[in-house]
Amino acid sequence: MSTRDRRKRDPVNAFAIPAVVIVALVTQVPLIVTLILSAIKWIIVRPDLGIRFIGLENYLGVFKDAEFYMVIINTIVLTVVSLAGCTVLGLALALLLNRKFVGINIARTLMIAPFFVMDAVVGIVWKTLMLHPSFGINGMIAGWLHIKPIDFLGNHSMATIIMLVIWQWTPFFVLVLLSGFESISEEILDSARVDGAGIWRTIFQIKIPAIASHIEVAVMLGLIFILKVFGIIYVTTSGGPGISSTNLPYLVYRTGFFRWDVGRATAMAVITVILTLVAVTAFFRFTRRKTSEVES
Amino acid sequence: MIDYTGSRARRKTAHYLFVLLIWVICLTYFFPILYMFITSLKHETDVVPPKLFFTPTLENYRTVLLSSDIVSHIVNSAIITLSSMVLCIFLGVPTAYAIVFGKLKKPDSLFFWFLSTTLLPPVAVIIPVFLIFKNLHLLDTRWGMIIMYVGANVPIVIWMVRSFLKDIPAELLEAADIDGATRIRSFFKIVLPLARSGIISSALLVFIFVWNEFFFAINLTYVNASPIPVYMASYMTQEGLFWAKLSAISTVTVLPPLILGWISHKSIVRGLMMGAVKG
Repeated sequence: MSTRDRRKRDPVNAFAIPAVVIVALVTQVPLIVTLILSAIKWIIVRPDLGIRFIGLENYLGVFKDAEFYMVIINTIVLTVVSLAGCTVLGLALALLLNRKFVGINIARTLMIAPFFVMDAVVGIVWKTLMLHPSFGINGMIAGWLHIKPIDFLGNHSMATIIMLVIWQWTPFFVLVLLSGFESISEEILDSARVDGAGIWRTIFQIKIPAIASHIEVAVMLGLIFILKVFGIIYVTTSGGPGISSTNLPYLVYRTGFFRWDVGRATAMAVITVILTLVAVTAFFRFTRRKTSEVES
Repeated sequence: MIDYTGSRARRKTAHYLFVLLIWVICLTYFFPILYMFITSLKHETDVVPPKLFFTPTLENYRTVLLSSDIVSHIVNSAIITLSSMVLCIFLGVPTAYAIVFGKLKKPDSLFFWFLSTTLLPPVAVIIPVFLIFKNLHLLDTRWGMIIMYVGANVPIVIWMVRSFLKDIPAELLEAADIDGATRIRSFFKIVLPLARSGIISSALLVFIFVWNEFFFAINLTYVNASPIPVYMASYMTQEGLFWAKLSAISTVTVLPPLILGWISHKSIVRGLMMGAVKG
């Protein structure tokens, strides 16, 4: 019996078929259709214009649109600033929480909670109870200080969205980084103490380098998820005022489901895919290079 | 001479200051959720403008849980989430088994194909999915949502469970082979029990992701099949000023993933790290 026959006969191989089928149906097939649609002129609410093949015209239209560049910049700012904020805050909080005292588990429980709260509720609670200029905590504090309340979502929409994303995602970073800090062996820390390393040197030269792989995992997953932030924007600002808090996913949504411009929206979606792949690949290259530098 | 008692006292004070600092930070961080819960116990008249002192009431919860409208959306969420979770496990665990112990030609490329699909932004598929669902009458149906969520989350199960299966020594299965057990039997008898913690933590992660999902839900459902986040977003725009009721719905909605997350965060992170380190 050749290996080929045996391979065919192993019933275990068939185990993978249903998952392959459904994942292909939900991700690959629609992606191919997206590519095809992006070469077509089709505005659902204007049947009089008809449906016709126009090649790259949708892409040209997107690239001529000044709004589109603003949205790309918004997306990059949102992603980079949120990731940086989550990393720094996550490291600081994980270091703080990496100690033992009675009640530490309750404190940690409170800290990680926002990560499990859905986008819709994050948006609703912050928009109403917290940041509402008259009736939220925002208005209350402004009243105590006798100042005019800040109109967070009106005047600082992107900064506020970033704040909410950081609030929601830092707990995830804390979880991952804390598990890293807890895995550092006591011996290493003891020998550092014997060598007379101070607190800051221990943190920056021993603890943080020791959890490099944890930081990578947190940033990588954070990158993938923060690139597709949508629910928070939908609930709080609807991308506004103007397009000041619109990111790529929200722009595709608006183009597809408000203007019903299928061609334009799918072209934007394709560009979003390419930018995502570029970002992820760049991150991979960056971390691989750093790891090999450390090793050599 | 070094004053040992003095330095120990100072260290102790520093420790207590740290503990205090940690509590202040954690409580501040948690405050929005706490305040949401407190608001859900207020009468609407105590919410706008906010009053510090109030007589708590469970009336909002009664209104919420007696509203057939709200309950039907919670039921939608529960059915969609639980079905997706179970199907993800049914499809994902055997696939991970085939990748690790099967005799596939290129198990790694199959695995990386699954992994690469998680990078795909949802906007890349939403418009074709919407058009296809519309033609197949899957728009605004629970089945449609379940299909989407299974397709989107099976790779996560495969990713996490694979790393647990890789820890099972191949000799264990080979021994079972010699004993005459078929490979399918060894899947149930040996592999499933050993990978149990990985399977459970990936199932909980899928539950949390699906319960909280917003993008597909808002675009592919309207009334009949819409899960609770979609209802909340529309409630917010229509009756945005009933904050106490809004807080009560929010609290009810947030509770299932929050409790699961609190119980299982350690094993979820362990699963994520194992999956990541073993590439």
